[in-house]
Amino acid sequence: AVLKKRLVKLVVNFLFYFRTDEAEPIGALLLEHCRITKEEENVFSISFIEEPERKYCFECATEEQCQEWVEALKRASYEFLRRSLIFYRNEIQKMTGKDPLEQYGISEEARFQLGAHRQ
Amino acid sequence: MKLNERSLAFYATCDSPADNAGFLYKRGERHTAYHRRWFVLKGNMLFYFEERDSREPVGVIVLEGCNVELCDSAEGFAFAIRFGGTKSRTYVLAAESQEAMESWVKSLSRASFDYLRLVVRELEKQLQEMRWGLPGGCGGSREPAGPWKPKPSGLEQSRERLPALPAILPKENGCAVWNNVLGADRAPDTSGCGGHDEEGSPRPPPPLPPRRRVSNGEAASAGAAVAESPSTFCRLHEQYSREVARLRQDWQQRQRGPRP
Repeated sequence: AVLKKRLVKLVVNFLFYFRTDEAEPIGALLLEHCRITKEEENVFSISFIEEPERKYCFECATEEQCQEWVEALKRASYEFLRRSLIFYRNEIQKMTGKDPLEQYGISEEARFQLGAHRQ
Repeated sequence: MKLNERSLAFYATCDSPADNAGFLYKRGERHTAYHRRWFVLKGNMLFYFEERDSREPVGVIVLEGCNVELCDSAEGFAFAIRFGGTKSRTYVLAAESQEAMESWVKSLSRASFDYLRLVVRELEKQLQEMRWGLPGGCGGSREPAGPWKPKPSGLEQSRERLPALPAILPKENGCAVWNNVLGADRAPDTSGCGGHDEEGSPRPPPPLPPRRRVSNGEAASAGAAVAESPSTFCRLHEQYSREVARLRQDWQQRQRGPRP
């Protein structure tokens, strides 16, 4: 496989990639149900649950940059954010006896209930 | 633009629970006829299928940087998903009842990743402050200025506004971390904390020392300044604890009534 130089941007749960001199992205990857793996010191890959053998590989300039990306991408999914919210909500509720989501008017939403969205 | 469509289709149809699902009428792009479609909201993605049991979605709307509004058109129970940017289209949808319309508008307007991230950061901040016991009251929560508005970082926005990486990265899944804005611009919570009476008695807690009722600005800058230095924080902590102990003593004596 040939390596092509790309500008890569992580925006919410999408990884956009651009040709370095263009304003419009050539493609994007939705980062849900995916696995981020550090392959070599400066190479990481993204693979998706429904097609695990297919790896999107990215080579970074340095190992440090690679580590940064792996950390960021592991936390990029909406599902990860949801789990964090449920966790913090539960912790705060345990400590104060109050539901911190009440002030936002979203405490009843099914998507934030403890035990929801176990995968 | 290429997209990992197979992964998207998987996300749409896998058995992870949807945040909302139901039939909606969708107005066509070129022709104004409405088509009935099965809609599934998962995270910040609104998928639509031709039929409820279709194996693949026919389309998806990514709910970032958009506004969800009611339509004042003649069509009953209609609402629109509007994006900024010159090339973006507005999606006009209609529900089959008032209740369904309200439920969809509510869930769609809070579906964005941006919105969720704001809420998570707020909770993270609250939890840190509770665990580290910053001055200014326990678990003080900032009153939101108004309804949460997602930051406009829509996919249709101009490129210069897109960040390369999330600005603040949590260190570990679910663990509290030092946030670089500790207690700043946070109004002290004078409503009191529930359930923290050490004595376990039903008496209300003593009033906060008068110093704490300063204006938001003063408390905020004081809070932010001292949070930077652990040694000053310790000193302040000591000071406050002595004062609290003294006040508590005074209050208890008053509760017991004048000595005979």
